[in-house]
Amino acid sequence: MKPISSPGRRGGFSLIEGIGGLILFTITMAALTYGSASLFKFQSHPQVVYNGNTYSLAPSFGDFRQAVDLHTQFTQSVDQADSVLVFGGQRSHPTLDPNGPSSALSETFADTTLNASAESDPFQGYSSWDQRELNGIQLSSYLTSGADPADFTILTVQGLSHITSVTQQRRYTATLNLQDSVLYEVIYQAFDWSSGSPVPVVNTVTGTTPTAFYRIYYSANEDAWSQPPGATHFWYRTDTVWDRDQEGPTRVIFADPYVLAGQDPQASVSSVSRFVYFLPQMR
Amino acid sequence: MKPPQTIPVAPRLRDNRGMASIAVFLFAMVAVFILMANFKLNYAVSMSGDAFDTFNSQTVEKDGIAQIVKESILAIGETAPIVSSNPIQTEIQNRLASMTFPAGVSVALASADTLPANPFFPFATPVAAVQPAYFSSSPRGVAGMGSLFTSLAIQGAAADLGRYTYTFTRSSTLAPGENWTYTVNADLFSVPLTNIDVVAYGLPASGSIPSQAPSVPVGTFGSGVSTLVVTSNNPANDPTAYPDLYAPQAGTEVLPYQYRNEASFAWNAYEYIWNRTYQDGLLNTAESEPDPGNQASSGSDPTPPKGALYDFSLPAFDPANPGNYPCNPTIAGVTSSGNSLTIDCSQVQSQVIAIVDSEGIGSVTIDGSAGGGNPFILLIRNTAGGLGQTQVSFAGDNSRPAIFYLENSNVGFSGDPQVQGALFFDPTTVASGAVTWYGHFSFYGSASPLDTFPISVNDSPTVKDALAPLAPRVLLVSTTSTRQ
Repeated sequence: MKPISSPGRRGGFSLIEGIGGLILFTITMAALTYGSASLFKFQSHPQVVYNGNTYSLAPSFGDFRQAVDLHTQFTQSVDQADSVLVFGGQRSHPTLDPNGPSSALSETFADTTLNASAESDPFQGYSSWDQRELNGIQLSSYLTSGADPADFTILTVQGLSHITSVTQQRRYTATLNLQDSVLYEVIYQAFDWSSGSPVPVVNTVTGTTPTAFYRIYYSANEDAWSQPPGATHFWYRTDTVWDRDQEGPTRVIFADPYVLAGQDPQASVSSVSRFVYFLPQMR
Repeated sequence: MKPPQTIPVAPRLRDNRGMASIAVFLFAMVAVFILMANFKLNYAVSMSGDAFDTFNSQTVEKDGIAQIVKESILAIGETAPIVSSNPIQTEIQNRLASMTFPAGVSVALASADTLPANPFFPFATPVAAVQPAYFSSSPRGVAGMGSLFTSLAIQGAAADLGRYTYTFTRSSTLAPGENWTYTVNADLFSVPLTNIDVVAYGLPASGSIPSQAPSVPVGTFGSGVSTLVVTSNNPANDPTAYPDLYAPQAGTEVLPYQYRNEASFAWNAYEYIWNRTYQDGLLNTAESEPDPGNQASSGSDPTPPKGALYDFSLPAFDPANPGNYPCNPTIAGVTSSGNSLTIDCSQVQSQVIAIVDSEGIGSVTIDGSAGGGNPFILLIRNTAGGLGQTQVSFAGDNSRPAIFYLENSNVGFSGDPQVQGALFFDPTTVASGAVTWYGHFSFYGSASPLDTFPISVNDSPTVKDALAPLAPRVLLVSTTSTRQ
């Protein structure tokens, strides 16, 4: 009896099977390549709308890229500033406001000059607190009430009056899709004074203001950080006799879009934002 | 014996095995791609984060190099008793050599501008001073040079010495894409020491710095008066300090570097002006003054002393006995009687009058000038130490701006006069009596006279401008760096 199967074909594919497999493999590869590319380009990521703005569920790679862009520009503004004013956070003054959270400036604040400081004695403005007092008439209507500990406003200033950038961080709590959520919004608006007048710098992608931004949210039970976002003011001294209200660097922690903040009690390392600064008030 | 037979394989089973192989293969491929996608996402996040961290670290790196340039300039040109005579390239290179950079990274000085001189009286004619502005094309605006720098530079007329450029090449053998050029621009301003209204100075080399700021009676500082005192950061020494940022290293306090220019102003400049180099410069200038009050040569007085330097250890000129050398010259506006001198500010002709009291026996009365006049310097140099202080008495209002350097003196004011000028007390000078002062006042912070000396100081731009040509000047440096 002639064997049905010859030893040479045992365990292998026929020519048709091979060609079919190759075609199937090629189609599969193409589909996977296209799919993986689409995953990054148009990935479907949970988003919510709050106060008319879209927030992405953290961790969000898209917002992380926006955050890197924002912080690169923010760092340059700080580097070129004569002074950096931080409103909000804890210990905005060691004795007059030791606990905070202190008032930030409203997100509607869009002034480009500090009016009172323009003619003031620079020796009188060695701290954000002093600047807030000096410019009280201008700023008082913008000071927020019931500020969140994570809220702050950062002004970079050249000379005594030219505001070169306004950076805001806000933390909101809301119930979204039946889930208690915490939302973080970071907005950076730069002003170009090279022409002698302030010109708002637009976002290179959207072509509109603000210059850069990112918005993310967490479920409320995940909003636990080893170092919570917000500002903490450190001081060298306060000396009313010699006018030495000398504020040291302020530790500013921004929300990080690629950190899942919620801490695992078993984790040996806690989540921290990588966007942490020690910003000197005076240079 | 039957021949061995091949066990027949059912065609369906064979097909199933082939399809299973393909399914396993596809499953493996999908798994690999999912893992690759996850890897790529994490890799992209990591790379973005690393790029940002690199950006931040290079910001720190370039700012550190800017600090090296600033310290190198100050090492050569600071108003201080000891400065380096090295070229700027050597000073920068010395500091670069002591730096530690990441593995494979090196930073080298590529080009350096030569530093300008910081001339001031009495050694050279100072650069003309004008009132700086924050935003201006002429004179050059000071905005962007740092608020602590500008707070000192903006207090009165100052001389802009210009912008000087230093370039560095940064190369990395591990990451050639991170080879950069750092450009450091150094802005130099020469600021009269008298521009700050009140300075409680420290002497970190020859004395000490005040551990805490002196108390100030109400009414001492008038409206708009600028004040400067640099004290300990240790809350145990200075109750105005907080422990927030107090971190002594090996028991040594570290002044935050942002206050470097303040240290130039409030410490090192005073080490300089009470040092011999500056004091001798003033004495030599006074000695060589072509004072119109000097007695003329005559047959009986062939080589009369010249200049405007009066030494209490020498006799005064005696008209009844000319030619009795050595003796003091006659000086316009200065009259003597025994060990007492009277200086009439309205009659002074020399730019510098120096009075030397090496025995502590002199007494000087300063009568003010109500009519103004050119500014001048009065130096009272008492080297007697514990033997005795020179008694100095201010009488009457003075509206002729003058710089008064008073060493080891006991100063009294009568009648609460109003005086324009600059009042420099050395660490041993004491004072009493009330005075309303327009201009500059400085004293040793560790021996404040304010508790017993009811002075009321007022800011006066006019006096600052008048004194600027004669005042010692402090070199202020601001450095900014950019990466190309």
